[in-house]
Amino acid sequence: MKQRSRSRSPFPARHFPNLPGIAHQSFLMLAGILACVFVTYPAKSVAADASTTLAISIRTLSNPYQANYKVGAEAYGKSVGLPVDVLTTEANSEKGLTDIKSEVARRAGNVVFFIDPNQATDVVAIAKVLEQAKVYFVTWWNKPADVKVWDYPHWVAHVSFDGVAAGYYTANELFKTFKTPGQGKIIALQGLLANTPAQERFQGLQKALGENKGIQLVQWEAADWDRTKAYNDTKAMLVAHPDIDGVWCANDDMAMGAIQALNEAGLAKKVLVTGTDGIPEMFDAIKNGLAAATVMNDAKYQAGLGLAMALSAKQGKLDVAGQPQKYRQFEIPAVNVDRQNVEQVVHDYIDNTPQYDFSNFYARWSVAIP
Amino acid sequence: MPNTVTSMLPHRSTSWLSTSATKGRKWFQRSGISGQLLALIIVMGIFTIGTRGKYLSLVNLQVILSLAAIPAIIAIGLHQVVVLGAIDLSVEGVVAFCVVIVGFLAHNKFNANDVGLWIIPITAGVGGGAGVINGLLNTKLKIPSFISTLGMSWVLWGLAVFVSKGQTIPLLNNPLRAVVNGYVLGIPNLAIIAFLIFAIIQLVQDRTRFGRYLYAIGGDEVLSAQAGVKVHQTKIFVFGIAGVLYGLAALFLAVKLDSAQAITGNNLLFPAVTAVAVGGVALTGGIGGAKNAALGALIVTALNDGLILLDVNPYAQQAVNGAVLVVAVALTIDRKKLGFIK
Repeated sequence: MKQRSRSRSPFPARHFPNLPGIAHQSFLMLAGILACVFVTYPAKSVAADASTTLAISIRTLSNPYQANYKVGAEAYGKSVGLPVDVLTTEANSEKGLTDIKSEVARRAGNVVFFIDPNQATDVVAIAKVLEQAKVYFVTWWNKPADVKVWDYPHWVAHVSFDGVAAGYYTANELFKTFKTPGQGKIIALQGLLANTPAQERFQGLQKALGENKGIQLVQWEAADWDRTKAYNDTKAMLVAHPDIDGVWCANDDMAMGAIQALNEAGLAKKVLVTGTDGIPEMFDAIKNGLAAATVMNDAKYQAGLGLAMALSAKQGKLDVAGQPQKYRQFEIPAVNVDRQNVEQVVHDYIDNTPQYDFSNFYARWSVAIP
Repeated sequence: MPNTVTSMLPHRSTSWLSTSATKGRKWFQRSGISGQLLALIIVMGIFTIGTRGKYLSLVNLQVILSLAAIPAIIAIGLHQVVVLGAIDLSVEGVVAFCVVIVGFLAHNKFNANDVGLWIIPITAGVGGGAGVINGLLNTKLKIPSFISTLGMSWVLWGLAVFVSKGQTIPLLNNPLRAVVNGYVLGIPNLAIIAFLIFAIIQLVQDRTRFGRYLYAIGGDEVLSAQAGVKVHQTKIFVFGIAGVLYGLAALFLAVKLDSAQAITGNNLLFPAVTAVAVGGVALTGGIGGAKNAALGALIVTALNDGLILLDVNPYAQQAVNGAVLVVAVALTIDRKKLGFIK
């Protein structure tokens, strides 16, 4: 006892004289955890709610594109008068799955999901959990090719943006800006090499290069979707290749880093860049003549469409099993943005949230995913 | 017959020459950076040959110096914590939070705030505050630095994302922009700033009681506490300085990229830890100074720049970095301190 009273613990045992040493520590820990849970638990969930909850599971809210999922989901939730819950994986697959499980338990199964899985392999575990709970869901972007949506009755659809088309479109727009169109050298900044969109967009670039033999990709680096790394890599590549005519980037954040490096080398506005995603700064860069084009993945539409499909399946309006396979796994085109239409796109999609028509889920259907 | 040539040489001068050469060699050996300087020379030599001299061009040396500056500032902050025998994993969270603070308080696109140059003490203060909390958690609540700083990183990262709502905040006409992007006599200003920070910290380590305390605690914390070293005070101060430097790095990063977003903090921890280890600061504590951290950052940047200039396959570049880290730790770690390796 004498020893314990000399303990340097911030919560000395003497404050809890009736508890044995170990017990008082675990008691404190338990109390702490419970306190954290109560503080973070939203008040609205305490009241039992008969209406279906619209839940989205996304990577993070720290990236403008992913943050727009939330905007789109909330806009849709408002239009149908249902509550929206936002779960983030923070790039942790395990957390993503656990959060989905607890959300299902919390809402007693009365929930539908829009999911952008952290990585492709996660969808199998997620599908099993939701299938067991009979919860309808739609996934975006990441799915292993050999996992088929039609093997799971509650998996309404898997949708993706056409990455090859995006890379191909931006590459061609970039080539048009050269002094001699169709003749020149470019460098490229890739995203995380293991990501499907990174690979697809790069395939699009390769396709465009294959059709324009006069254009040479002199070097590419993996900048991991990161602006600072893109800046560093571009600075170094410009030493090796000061005579390039364009910089192709797999996303807009990297394009912004590249613009900064070009600016310091005195090449801004002479050498243009392209990206993908459609972040606000990229629209400004296109307006200011620093960038040639981007492709806007309309996250607000994505979230709205995903939730609308899942909700409609839950309400029995959409016969999931009756849909042909091409409507279970498909791609839709993103919005192409260049110097001509940039003002219009900003007005329609950024300054305002468009009134999307979700009466036909397949209105924008472009190609089936095999 | 005496050798006329020898006798004609001024005797004093040869003796001075030889003693100073020995002194120089001894200084070099005792400096603790001989291996690192050698590594830098070898790295630069290989890339110079590989790129047929392009690597040593003025433009590329400027690129290396300007890219090394921010990792060096972070590494100089981090290494003192490592010298204590602790670790600071809060870099990314502190930087993310400070960057967002810059976005909100500097002249920006979204609100009317403009604190001008006050942004320097503000970010340094916020970073320093986070560092002091790290220190308090470590010393007063007795939480291992590995956990307390990791927790701090996530807390600040979450706050940064929450406050910025995940948006990128473009900066407008920042008064520091000209300074951060400028050059003096061909040397990037950021590199000069990093050098000044290095010089001050190095001087403090070499010449003050604080410096002696730092190494005493790093060598043996229990023993130094018994000898009357103010262990807690020193530790909190070290974490605080680290935070201040992360805050400044965050400010420079935001100004450099002309925008503030939480994810600016990403991908900063690994290069900083690598720089500290490659510079020869032992992860077991007690060995290495600011000179090691700064040199480590320079080596890592020179290496990455060279890999790009040589057009090494991007798939292989990460592997090279990882291998360099392991080798560096293998060479610097003080195994006498480790009873067994986990």
